[in-house]
Amino acid sequence: MLKRTFNWFLHIGGILTLIMFMSGCSLLKGPLYPDVIYNNRQPLISVTYEYGEIEIKLPLNYIGVVPEIISFEVYAHGDTANPIISILQEAPRVFFVYLPQGVLDIHNKSNIIKIIPQDTNFRPVNVRFKGIRFGRIVLPPKSIQMGQLIVNGKVFLNKDETPLGGVDVSIQNFDNVIKETTTNDSGFYQLSVPGEYKYAQHLRLVAGNNMIFKPFKQKLDFSQTLKMRYNIGMGPNKAMEDPIYLTNRESVHFREQPDIGSETLFLLGAGESISVTRVTPGEYYGSIEIEVGSKKMVQLDGWVNRTDVFLLDLNNVFKKESGNVSEL
Amino acid sequence: MFRNYKWFLGSLLLLVNLSAQVKLSVKTIPKKVNIMLDGINIGKSPIINDRINPGVHKFEIIKSGFAPITYDILVNPSQAVHLDFFMNPIYQVKFKTQEKGLVFELNGEHLWDDPFIRLNLEAGDHFLRVFKLNEIIDEQTIHVDEPKKFNYYLKKLISEK
Repeated sequence: MLKRTFNWFLHIGGILTLIMFMSGCSLLKGPLYPDVIYNNRQPLISVTYEYGEIEIKLPLNYIGVVPEIISFEVYAHGDTANPIISILQEAPRVFFVYLPQGVLDIHNKSNIIKIIPQDTNFRPVNVRFKGIRFGRIVLPPKSIQMGQLIVNGKVFLNKDETPLGGVDVSIQNFDNVIKETTTNDSGFYQLSVPGEYKYAQHLRLVAGNNMIFKPFKQKLDFSQTLKMRYNIGMGPNKAMEDPIYLTNRESVHFREQPDIGSETLFLLGAGESISVTRVTPGEYYGSIEIEVGSKKMVQLDGWVNRTDVFLLDLNNVFKKESGNVSEL
Repeated sequence: MFRNYKWFLGSLLLLVNLSAQVKLSVKTIPKKVNIMLDGINIGKSPIINDRINPGVHKFEIIKSGFAPITYDILVNPSQAVHLDFFMNPIYQVKFKTQEKGLVFELNGEHLWDDPFIRLNLEAGDHFLRVFKLNEIIDEQTIHVDEPKKFNYYLKKLISEK
């Protein structure tokens, strides 16, 4: 009887254990809700950006005079109306600028640095460059110089205003030739010299060194301007009548009377014109033109030795290459 | 020659593409979580010195025991972008009541009527609503910040660790 009861409990216990195994531990722990229950709380997310910097380095060379203050303006994407940054500073040897990432055009050379010296004698300079996303750009050195001093005009024959081609024209400082050129067939010339000569005291324009006439010389004063125009008339004026003779050497005596020992009115340089009206076996009598200030010319009569002059031939007004001997 | 030219062009394009990319780093709490970027597994966190193109991207971060994160981001053209994700843990909570005939609703969508149940709840606040005979008899917010056991009594919720 006891054994049967024991077996019955054993069976019941086995069945309960089997049920426990089959249902897991949920009888003890309770059932598990099938879904995860979210409350849709925003997760904490931190986003941090690192932006790079663009460093631009532009070495500057100053030729001659250095401007005191320079304004630098940086433009991007070809927009020259709205600068990214403007910097006014004393003229640096190297211009540095720092820009935030992404402001420059990295595909084309459409970014510009405008260098604007705060001095009207200097001309603004533009530097075009292609940008980068971030990092350093070292641009090639840029030269800053005063605007070129320019003188131009025409060279013509005073007698009939014919343009003279092939005339030597130069700019000289003291006696040093800085720049020289030759007129074209229309008689036009143009010369430019660096701006550093703007305030030079002994700058002059010289024309006609290769002509039989006295060379034209004019002092140049660029202190008020960067460009000048001089039309240069060579040879005797219209007012001088033919025949016209030219002195063939320096220091030719132009005397009051034909006698030896008479008063010398002027010592004429080579190539000076004399309009001859009377002839003696040894001398010519004629008139020369003298400037008496404010471009006013007066004629003065006198005598010269025949050996000191030669007859002017307007068809051949250039010196021979070999020397000072004029072609007659 | 033509092959070399193609190879050179390909290298150049790759270089241009790389130079336009943004350096990417991703960190997560917890660590060693698979990071999916635009549907592609880019590895386990922490991820450093990876690269990403500027533009719109989607991050998906899934780890068992934490609420998944889906994050859309517009990556700006920059030198680098650093992302830190703090995943929300899911805690197992035991919910028990001695009251009879009650139906419980959590966050307006999850219903049960068992007097004793285990719930997997995302950390944070959850809104509990209690019904009896189809009438709301109680509403309250339960805050989950660790594995807990809640004992519910009408108008009273006692939590135990």
